[in-house]
Amino acid sequence: MDVLTLSHVSKSFGQHRVIENLEFCIPEHTVYGFIGQNGAGKTTTMKIILGLLRADTGVITVNGKQVCYGQNHTNQFIGYLPDVPEFYGFLTPIEYLELCGEITGMEKREIRRRSEEMLELVGLSERKKRVQGFSRGMKQRLGIAQALLNRPKLLICDEPTSALDPVGRKEILDILHTVKEHTTVLFSTHILSDVERICDKIAFLHNGKLEFQGTLEEIRSQRQGRGFQIEFYRKEDVALFLKYFPGTVSEGGYKVLCERNMGNNMQNNMKYVEKNMTHAMEFVVKNNMAIRSIEMLETTLENLFMEVVGQ
Amino acid sequence: MNIKEVLPFIIPLIIAEFTLLAISIWHILTHNHYKRGNRILWLIVVIVGMEFIGPVLYFLLGKEDV
Amino acid sequence: MRAFLAFTKKEWVELIRTGRLAILLVLFSLFGIMNPAVAKLTPWMMEMMADSLKETGLTVAAVKVDAMTSWTQFYKNIPIAMVIFLLMFGGILTAEYQKGTLINMLTKGLARWKVILAKGCIMTATWTVCYWLCYGITYGYNWYFWENGIASHLGLAAACVWILGIWLIAVMLLMSTVFQTSSAVLAATGGIALVSYVVGLIPKARKFLPTHLLAASGMLSGAGSVEEYWCAVWVTIGLGVLGLLAAVIVYNKK
Repeated sequence: MDVLTLSHVSKSFGQHRVIENLEFCIPEHTVYGFIGQNGAGKTTTMKIILGLLRADTGVITVNGKQVCYGQNHTNQFIGYLPDVPEFYGFLTPIEYLELCGEITGMEKREIRRRSEEMLELVGLSERKKRVQGFSRGMKQRLGIAQALLNRPKLLICDEPTSALDPVGRKEILDILHTVKEHTTVLFSTHILSDVERICDKIAFLHNGKLEFQGTLEEIRSQRQGRGFQIEFYRKEDVALFLKYFPGTVSEGGYKVLCERNMGNNMQNNMKYVEKNMTHAMEFVVKNNMAIRSIEMLETTLENLFMEVVGQ
Repeated sequence: MNIKEVLPFIIPLIIAEFTLLAISIWHILTHNHYKRGNRILWLIVVIVGMEFIGPVLYFLLGKEDV
Repeated sequence: MRAFLAFTKKEWVELIRTGRLAILLVLFSLFGIMNPAVAKLTPWMMEMMADSLKETGLTVAAVKVDAMTSWTQFYKNIPIAMVIFLLMFGGILTAEYQKGTLINMLTKGLARWKVILAKGCIMTATWTVCYWLCYGITYGYNWYFWENGIASHLGLAAACVWILGIWLIAVMLLMSTVFQTSSAVLAATGGIALVSYVVGLIPKARKFLPTHLLAASGMLSGAGSVEEYWCAVWVTIGLGVLGLLAAVIVYNKK
């Protein structure tokens, strides 16, 4: 079953169209990566899902129930982690979780049990210390704990890693990955390596439009066969190679790049590149050329991202 | 004017002002960040600021929102 | 109801842990002691001045102080205490917008009117305790040194100023829902009080204005009748309730 579905959702602020005809759905127990530049409309989309903003058109359902602006009955299924979560500095994590639990109407015993469980999960040991002196990473952990407190069906994280150092980032990603067993995660980011690390499905958002979406496997298959690269030892080999293989370009120094023809059929592209590569290797052997390396190039997520945003 | 008449004022006044001073100094020393100014500045303001004005200034202008 | 209580409890903890309550309690006690102290010291200071004035040829008649002098001080000083009180709470809502701490509470299903009401309750309770503490201390001293009996309608007059304080709290809450920064909130609240004061310069309108309650000390000497203030009391209470309702409505729209 899909935990979250969006259909034909649009939103503009005045003349500026922030989101255009957005349509996607998230099945249960997936980590859904929402990728886009700053200002692509990620946060706006999340706020609409949370009922903090009104969509101009379109229907959103969370766990089968429709989201209405201003009413937050669907929010009982959602846990939300803002990009830079802010807490009351004078409360301790335990007290803050208690406040959250009381507001969502959880039972007292359940609150206590869940609080312990969640703090354990996110690895926050300073339970009796006031939030005041917490680092960003610690706040992010508390943010996840509060978001998961009432067992939400959907966890929405707005750029949970962008404000953290590499270590803190890895830890937060690990937590999100563990959490997948209990809930569904939608998280936005512009850090592409995060996406590769934990996402099952991803969506590229650009200028308010969904440019591409799919599972990570689908994207991987699309990324193969960009071309290959050879690095030689001698300048004259480079010259010879370039002469015999039209369509290859020198990358400066001893490197030569042989790119695929930019057709759309992935399967054909792959075959084309493979054929070209073995052909080149034959040529290298035949001419007694020494090479430093030969390598199949893969489209990085970054290339794909750049392609999507048209740069 | 006899001293006995003044005592009922002086004693509570001193107690109240010292309590105020103590709370402020304790607060300043247990916090490292202030909205503006620094620790030394606020200690001086609180101690020199006659009666209640120093502590009030600190809590209005110097204390960080948490 | 549970959500409301939990949020009120949070406000209460905030009041204590930020040291705000302690400061206000000590401050209002100080004000309470100062009133009779100044009254008590007046003759003494007059004597000192008289000595130096005698050399210039002026004579000062001996002044007689009583509970009335002290109560006059009380009504002269309480506006200052009121201003400090409001300054202390100027950011009660705006600080939460600026830090973004409320968003999480609201997305968790806390109704907006509960936020306003919880903050209003806490401020009113604090004001009530602080104000009557100050009053009680002044009352105690006056009872000890002089005779409170010479002032009539003591409690009633004090209640007028107390109600004025509650009205200002409601106004500040409303302004907090309109403006984004605490300085704007305070300026607007001060502006409204000023408008009330300026309009009060028109003799016919005076009776109906909240700021008229500041003059309620006129009751003590018997110079003003009690009836003169009823209008202002009802108007103030009415405006206070309206202000609170408006705050809830404005805040719901945000």
